[in-house]
Amino acid sequence: MYNDMPKVDLKVVLLGSSNVGKTSLLERFIDDRFNENLPNQSTIGAAFASKEVCVNNIKFTLGIWDTAGSERYQSMTKLYYRGAKAAIVCYDVTNLESWERAKYWVRELRSVEETCVVYLCGTKKDILDEGKTATPDLDIVERYAAGIQCKFYLVSNKTGEKTSELFDEISKDYISDPDNLHSVMEAITLTANSKTDSRCCPIG
Amino acid sequence: MANPEAPGVDDVIAEPGIEPGASAETMLVTTDSFEEYEQEMSNSIDDRQMKESTTSTISELQEDIREAPPTPTAVSPTEPKPEPPDDLELEDNTQQLSLNSLEIDPLRNTTWLAQRKHIFILSQAGKPIYSRHSSEDKLVTLMGVMQALVSFVQAGNDMIRSVHAGDTNFVFVVKGPLILVTVSKTLESVPQLVLQLTYVYNQIVSVLTQSQLTRVYEQRRNFDLRRLLTGSERLIDHLLNFMDKEPAFFLGAIKCLPLLPSMRDAISQTIVQTCGKIKNLVFAILLANNQLVTLVRMKKYFIHPADLHLIQNLVASSESFKTVESWTPICLPKFDSNGFMHGHVSYLAEDCQACLLLLTVDKDVFYSLSDAKQKIVEKLRRTNCLEAINESMNKASITTAEIGLPEMRHVLYKCKSTAQFWSPGFQPPYTTDEEIERLLGLYQCLHHRLHAPNRPLKLIFQQLDKETMLAWVTSGFELYLTFEPLVTKPDAINSVSKLLKWIKKEEERLFILNSPTF
Ligand SMILES: Nc1nc2c(ncn2[C@@H]2O[C@H](COP(=O)(O)OP(=O)(O)OP(=O)(O)O)[C@@H](O)[C@H]2O)c(=O)[nH]1
Ligand SMILES: [Mg+2]
Repeated sequence: MYNDMPKVDLKVVLLGSSNVGKTSLLERFIDDRFNENLPNQSTIGAAFASKEVCVNNIKFTLGIWDTAGSERYQSMTKLYYRGAKAAIVCYDVTNLESWERAKYWVRELRSVEETCVVYLCGTKKDILDEGKTATPDLDIVERYAAGIQCKFYLVSNKTGEKTSELFDEISKDYISDPDNLHSVMEAITLTANSKTDSRCCPIG
Repeated sequence: MANPEAPGVDDVIAEPGIEPGASAETMLVTTDSFEEYEQEMSNSIDDRQMKESTTSTISELQEDIREAPPTPTAVSPTEPKPEPPDDLELEDNTQQLSLNSLEIDPLRNTTWLAQRKHIFILSQAGKPIYSRHSSEDKLVTLMGVMQALVSFVQAGNDMIRSVHAGDTNFVFVVKGPLILVTVSKTLESVPQLVLQLTYVYNQIVSVLTQSQLTRVYEQRRNFDLRRLLTGSERLIDHLLNFMDKEPAFFLGAIKCLPLLPSMRDAISQTIVQTCGKIKNLVFAILLANNQLVTLVRMKKYFIHPADLHLIQNLVASSESFKTVESWTPICLPKFDSNGFMHGHVSYLAEDCQACLLLLTVDKDVFYSLSDAKQKIVEKLRRTNCLEAINESMNKASITTAEIGLPEMRHVLYKCKSTAQFWSPGFQPPYTTDEEIERLLGLYQCLHHRLHAPNRPLKLIFQQLDKETMLAWVTSGFELYLTFEPLVTKPDAINSVSKLLKWIKKEEERLFILNSPTF
């Protein structure tokens, strides 16, 4: 049979209700842009993108699965968080329903993917800056995040605020685990042997 | 006016049987006539459903992949099909409909009322699902009236199909658990409008599958389908706009990106070689500017133009395919209305905006396909194929003036044996959206008259105020032509003959004449 494996070191999955901004977050990360003039671009199925990052001079690849929030894809979503090392659970800071959904995803991940590190992400911060109130109150979210020991990021895909910080943090957390560092280094050695050009920048 | 006995027209093709673009090899399912296309569009889903448990193309494929011994297929006794209903003249009900309508809000809105074509989708229970020009929940009462109308007629064992009131056509299609209605002020014929509604239905099936659609309503008659369709409204919106400006739909045909045959072969071969080892890949489709670059298929399986149109619609309405690789479940209603295929969808490269779709029945091969795509792009770049695609994409389509046919303004040429069509670039006066849509309307009228079920014509020559139209159908092709208004018939026929010679000369570039397989 096949060896259908990703050529990435760190698999990350984006979860959350439809319309919270998962795809926008991914586009921020991959191309650092935000396209406001394209409404109704709800994801059909799922999308994948990868990007090389460099932490402490170690290069490795993030492979990100952007899932669809629509109800009809719910049963398929499992396929995408299986084996994920990190998950970004998104909700829209002004949408209570999406918050309830986010808590559902956190519970789900905790029970089926214990090794997956969960990051909670409130999106559309720019709307708060314009004077809208957060639902639920941000205190509640922060307390919840602290209670389950997961990091909380308040981002805006529109302005780009805190989006790269979020992905930096995920990358750092990943590589700071010796097991992960070990497997990344092993992969680097393997590629260096099979190809002439090393994809690793000098460590030091 | 129409004149079926125009002299000399059959002499235009010197050697019969060599229609430009004709080929014995084809990757598309072809139909002989529009009636057949329309019938087939509507019927096959129901047919398949009847045989659901025994013949699902996708499960067949999955069986093949597992290399299990083939399961014997029981032939289910085919039930006699009900007679197609006649059109009904329901004058009274029409009046009722417009009277009731006036009491509903959006209907007081003149812009809304002035829309040329409305589309409504509702459930058999009368629940609103979709409205093209307004939010559907404002139209609860109107949808209720429509539902009542349909069930009233159904109770009499009849099926309502169309109502005509002045310049407005009300066309109803009842399919599975859904009622689809259009209220149209365009010149499109009832069969053409029925075809469009069927496309819309197929679009919904493509998102949900027929079996899921049936199931949710079996479980709950009052189900709110909008819950399952969130996020796919754009597909329906886009499809409707697409059908208003693309002749591909009523022609039941596909347009190809013009390419040197050697380049096209190189592209196909690259795909075949790279993907040959991926066992369960069914179709690889490369689209550029909405036109087909190549289609590689698994031996034994063909794709129906109607399914390919839905794929084109998906690509054209999804911006995100451009930045990421998508893994999209897609049901092709003509291929198998009850199962999903999985599509790896991505653009070739930032500097080559052609979209590659790799369709498989195996949901666990994303990374293999992603890898294959990467290799395909590398090879295509090395062999200058990306450049060739770009060059063709960026070049304005040749016009009939450039071909050397001054009195001819525009043309649609459909080759029947391959279900492919060709059309030149638009030139004045067809340079605005309105003029283009008007021209398309004229073609649709001709198309309707050529295919009128009771009195089909072979040839139409029609002098209008702003242009002269000529339509001609033979066993091998369909031609729809637009000329200067004052062109004489001999001159027109003369330039048709020149055109056909030109298409014949260029056929290898304009059409795909072979059908590569994995
Ligand atoms: N103001 C503002 N709008 C945003 C932000 N992020 C996303 N949006 C908008 O929210 C809408 C939905 O964004 P998407 O990224 O498509 O949402 P999604 O979570 O991928 O949705 P699904 O694919 O349906 O699951 C779009 O109109 C975006 O422009 C943000 O940070 N601020
Ligand atoms: Mg999305």
